[in-house]
Amino acid sequence: MRTLWTYARTNVERTALILAAIVILLAIFGAWLAPFDPTQIDFRARLQAPSWEHLLGTDGSGRDVLSRLLHGAQITILSTLAVLSVVVVFGCAVGMFSAFVGGPIDNMLMRLADVWLGFPPLILALGFASALGASLEAAIWALIFSWWPNYARLTRMVTVDILSRKFIASADALGVPTHAKVTRYVIPNAFDVLIVQVTLDISAIMLAISGLSFIGVGAQIPMPEWGAMIADGRSYVANGWWIVLAPGLMIFLTAFSFNVIGDMLRRELDPTSRRRQP
Amino acid sequence: MSYVVQRIAFSILSLFILLFVTFLLSQVVAGDPALIAAGPNAGAAKIAELRQQMGLDQPIFVQFGIYVGNILQGNLGTSWFTQQPIARDLMRELPPSLELVFLAMLINLAVSMPMGLLTARFAHTKFDDAVRLVVLAGAGLPVFWIAIILQQVVAGNWGILPIAGRLSFSNRDFSGATGFYLLDSLMQGNLNVFIDTLAHLALPAFALSLLFTAVGVRITRTSMINEFRKDYVTLARAKGAGEGRVMFRHVFANGATPALTVFGMQFGWMLGATVLVEEIFGRPGIGRYAIKAVTQSDIHAVVAVVFVVGVVFLIANLIVDMLVYALSPRKQRAG
Repeated sequence: MRTLWTYARTNVERTALILAAIVILLAIFGAWLAPFDPTQIDFRARLQAPSWEHLLGTDGSGRDVLSRLLHGAQITILSTLAVLSVVVVFGCAVGMFSAFVGGPIDNMLMRLADVWLGFPPLILALGFASALGASLEAAIWALIFSWWPNYARLTRMVTVDILSRKFIASADALGVPTHAKVTRYVIPNAFDVLIVQVTLDISAIMLAISGLSFIGVGAQIPMPEWGAMIADGRSYVANGWWIVLAPGLMIFLTAFSFNVIGDMLRRELDPTSRRRQP
Repeated sequence: MSYVVQRIAFSILSLFILLFVTFLLSQVVAGDPALIAAGPNAGAAKIAELRQQMGLDQPIFVQFGIYVGNILQGNLGTSWFTQQPIARDLMRELPPSLELVFLAMLINLAVSMPMGLLTARFAHTKFDDAVRLVVLAGAGLPVFWIAIILQQVVAGNWGILPIAGRLSFSNRDFSGATGFYLLDSLMQGNLNVFIDTLAHLALPAFALSLLFTAVGVRITRTSMINEFRKDYVTLARAKGAGEGRVMFRHVFANGATPALTVFGMQFGWMLGATVLVEEIFGRPGIGRYAIKAVTQSDIHAVVAVVFVVGVVFLIANLIVDMLVYALSPRKQRAG
């Protein structure tokens, strides 16, 4: 945490770090902070503009928008993490395997990854949703299915680079076994590149999940997922603009913050970006 | 030459994998197609007969062969919902979507190319930092959210552009040979319809282009910035070439190539992203068709959309790669 803060050079980067920290805290504690039940319908209180009782107003079914936003943070962050953790582990395993094996198998795996990257994730997710039934889980699986080749290719590239260095030749001469090479040399060296990519992907995956929920194949209304909230609020946008505005702003601010942090990490960690030193 | 053959072989391999994935998708869900085709009152003998006719008693590889054969003949199956051949549905829905994607791509290129070039030339200045910030913000915008806001504010409150649809009510009888209204109206010399089509396209195309433009600027900047470091640029400057000539004649011509490849991929992704905007702006198109098919559990229609978008993606990439190859001065060495 301290290190992250010292990386920040501009006020925008500091703000992004604070915002990201807030979103993560909301994902953990948001449910306790919420003043109302996020799914409690109250038709007498529907479409109320922001007030002291309902800070962000109420939606078309009289649910408190703020409470829904707070609960939604957890859904968004958890599903993004679910996608990323599976994708990183699986993608990296494939990438390292490919780099270590080399030859025609390596070639074939990477061609496969190239083809795979071609499927537009949103369309693929539609296919998945109709196969598994529309749900948040289906959307998560669809994104896992379409995202892993990114990491396979990246890890392979980094691993091939590491394996070509001199210290690997020395390790070979000493008879270091493969599993030790992976844990001692490859993973620590690949870590910086991966962490940059993961940070930048957080926003992309968040946007994809909320987009899928928006078109109705991800989280289902009344689940307080941010994309689903926008879909729900669309019908009331003429007399309840806050219902659409609030979750959209949350998605935007979170995605923007993680983009800024990812960009900052790339400057600080990635040796290939030769940014002049201050 | 060998590159061209290799590249086409890769496209065919990709097409094969695409076919396999869509085949698996349609297998997972379809239930028993013979049972559905036979209808609710059919006896066991009839169902068995149909099963044999449809090749369902064959091993899965044979079934895959039948599937590929059907698709090569342009038969994508029949929609459970519209009861129409899906291929015909898609021929109708594809032109409006492609029109939208073309325009969004045009916006993307018109912004990305110059901005990428300028930020690379003036890298690490205040200007570069400001553009970077805008780009990072753009890459965090939910497309569907910004589309709703644009529709409410620009079309609703300000009334500058039409709210939804493809044409105004007064032009409802317009039809053309290609289905691309921009093209049809020009061919018929109907400027009124052309402008009307463009006005209806403006907001959705802009909303669709935002995210892709943000990425486009970054990609162009990255590939240009490498060019500025190369020896020939130093040489050109040493020979006294003006900075404008260095930027456009030398750097842009060489640095555009890697960026072009990414723009080719973006084309297919944009077609996929139409699912986020078409519905909002009430436009017909493949995205809206896909959503409708999913909500109706019309599995074959959904799979067909996955397939067609995949094919468009493959074709766009093939064209771009061929273009890059044709433009590349280094091809003599490669061939």
